[in-house]
Amino acid sequence: MSTALSPAWVAAAHRPVDTLHCRHCGAPMEGAPGGEATAAYCCGGCEAAAAIIAGAGLDAYYALRTATAPRPEPQLGAWERLPVTGEGDRCVVRFAVDGTRCASCTWVIEQVLARTPGVAHAHVSYATGRAAVTFDPAQVPVADVARRVVALGYTVRPAEAAARDVDRDLLVRLGVSAFASMNLMLLAASLYAGWADGMDEKYLVLHRWTMFALATPVATWCAEPFVRGAIVGLRHRVLGLDVPVALGVGVLYAQGAWATVTGHEAWFDSLGMLVTLLLGGRLLEARGRRRAQEAAERLSSNLPRTVRRWNGAGLDDVPLDEVRPGDRLPLGAGVEVPVDGTVDEGLGSVRMALVTGESEPVPVGPGAALVAGAVVVDGAFTVRATAVGGETLMERMAAELRLATDREAVVSGPGDRIAPWFTAATLAIAATTFGVLAVTADLGTAAERTVAVLIVACPCALALAQPLAIAAGLGAAARRGLLVRSGASLLDLGQVERVALDKTGTLTTGAPSVVSAADDALRWAAGVERYSVHPVARAIVAEAMARGIPLPAAHDVVEIAGRGIRGVVGGRAVSVSAGHAEGVAVTVDGEPAGCIVVRDALRPDARRAVAALSALGARVDLLTGDRPEVAARIGAEAGISAVDAGVDPLGKAAWVRAREAAGERVLFVGDGLNDGPALVAARVGVAMGSGVATSIVAADAVVPHPSLAPVVAGIRIGRATHAVMRGNFARSLVYNVVAVGAAAAGWVNPLVAAILMPVSSLLVVWGASTVERRVRRIEEDSVWKG
Amino acid sequence: MEGMILLLPLAIALGGVFAALFLRAVANGQFDDLDDPPERILHDD
Repeated sequence: MSTALSPAWVAAAHRPVDTLHCRHCGAPMEGAPGGEATAAYCCGGCEAAAAIIAGAGLDAYYALRTATAPRPEPQLGAWERLPVTGEGDRCVVRFAVDGTRCASCTWVIEQVLARTPGVAHAHVSYATGRAAVTFDPAQVPVADVARRVVALGYTVRPAEAAARDVDRDLLVRLGVSAFASMNLMLLAASLYAGWADGMDEKYLVLHRWTMFALATPVATWCAEPFVRGAIVGLRHRVLGLDVPVALGVGVLYAQGAWATVTGHEAWFDSLGMLVTLLLGGRLLEARGRRRAQEAAERLSSNLPRTVRRWNGAGLDDVPLDEVRPGDRLPLGAGVEVPVDGTVDEGLGSVRMALVTGESEPVPVGPGAALVAGAVVVDGAFTVRATAVGGETLMERMAAELRLATDREAVVSGPGDRIAPWFTAATLAIAATTFGVLAVTADLGTAAERTVAVLIVACPCALALAQPLAIAAGLGAAARRGLLVRSGASLLDLGQVERVALDKTGTLTTGAPSVVSAADDALRWAAGVERYSVHPVARAIVAEAMARGIPLPAAHDVVEIAGRGIRGVVGGRAVSVSAGHAEGVAVTVDGEPAGCIVVRDALRPDARRAVAALSALGARVDLLTGDRPEVAARIGAEAGISAVDAGVDPLGKAAWVRAREAAGERVLFVGDGLNDGPALVAARVGVAMGSGVATSIVAADAVVPHPSLAPVVAGIRIGRATHAVMRGNFARSLVYNVVAVGAAAAGWVNPLVAAILMPVSSLLVVWGASTVERRVRRIEEDSVWKG
Repeated sequence: MEGMILLLPLAIALGGVFAALFLRAVANGQFDDLDDPPERILHDD
């Protein structure tokens, strides 16, 4: 498909006749369905979308856009159930829009909506894929708002308003703390200057009390997240890094209060700096995590679908959640089976890849059992529901997996493992300092130096070391197409020793694609197959489009479930029939015109990805439920020698658990619900695409645009993050050892601390900024750039 | 030096005004989406 905006394209956009590409979606074509005279659009959906755009006076869109539009496909959905907030004539509906390919897409959606009567305002974010529409329900029902977007070819899904409250809270605290600490620093600088030149007592008092007033909100309100974290940790008997941080803040503030009242030097500037830096680190961490979670959440759909239901005399469109056991639902090709049930009448075949992992269609007839999530490949039949909603096999499996995920203990990073030792060491040194000085010197000196030790030991740099490195790593992963849900998962990725790959949908594309075919056979076949939704038909049409073969118009097209399709193309009778081992045979006027080999093919980057994984020192295994000969062939093509075929979903999980029990850190990459148990069992589970595994199993990481390159990149980034984090820990520990030693010796005064502490933190910030550079270096050194 | 007694609270009050403006901007959601506005400038209505 054409993506760039070439001059020829612009001309075509303004002169729609004689064009060889669909004006809207850019598909190459020869004639419109049915052979209408104006062949500007490839299908009715594109024509309707263009009519909406033209009707809103937005034809400039075609000249401005940098990518062609998605082809509008009929979508059934209970749009009237989209959550609406507000009331009166200013209701707001928020939803997610999928399929936007360039900034012009969001522009055209916004403009089309804004020019719809009853819509006051429409905002679509290209970055987050969220839309917010202010409208008057009396003039335009919410379902019509969504239908306008759907008619343009985009997909609409309900989406929760993003959880930004935590961010806002941290941002407000950071703002207040930054304001206070900058003023504290100014006042402190003038005090330090006063040491040299002398300062009148009344100005000293003014400075001290002003600083005390500024430091109070910082120590009490801004630092509250750390104090709360320390209290929660202590209650659960966990000595996290929040404990020494809260201790340091508490000692700083208490010392300052005492110093203000008694007229001594306070350390308030260090207090402000410390809290500000820590809040900044926490905000970065929260933003990085939120982005990954939002992006992953965008992939999970939860709109109640509409289905057709027999009411005895005819058919009703009803939301899926109103379907009850015993209801009879007619199903046709291309539709996802919405319920568990048995076939009442009719014949066809279904693909149950989602549940079983098997990609090959299974024939079904009266009495056959169907499960929700299966896809009807061809035929037409009526299913009588036996289980709906949460009672379906798919939902019950998903619920079990969710339970298993929840039961996993909270994984902590290396920072949290260091924390107890660090806290214990700090307290021990403080106690020793006090004890030794109380004996060798006087109590006043002992108290002063102990306070200094506790203050400089406050692990600001240490507390920043992990979150900053992880935030940088999460960002680097997202830029390479891998959304990691937590920092712990990212670190685990860096320690993976064994990679188990599922076959269907992971190593292969999961959908049939044309492996070999002559251009001519493809042209004839595509002419009739463009009217079918069968996966093989889609593969043939996609291949024809990829080769730039114009799709001829056909008429009198007849599809016979499980057998093939025939029709008249250019006055000649074309038939495409199945029954070939892997593919279809094409005949024109009864004469064989060639074969098209169609099968679930290896991803184009699979071989290089496997090589790259091996180069990273990971052992690569292929785990599949498929037959041994297919598994062996795919394994050989991908360059994997360790192949386990005929493994059922629980077998995969058992395989993973056995390796984990043997001490190996396993990364499992899969897609279907059938991979769920293995995804949960593995140290790191990566889900491919927007499948069920992504949305309900809560894999540790998601590859939204299926490809294996992001998996390789994830391991590299995990390793780079580890290296940076170790460097950061080393830098901050060196600082702490030096600073605590100096404090115990009595060499640290507020001025020295005000320089030492931020410098150590800045070193850590600099360390984190090297993550991206390190990843690039690994990529350049490797056999294959991800 | 006498001026400091007036200037110091004045400076902090001025800073406080900016801090208050910042808090208002946060509450209005101006920092919620930092990725989209740069794209938006390219659109005209």
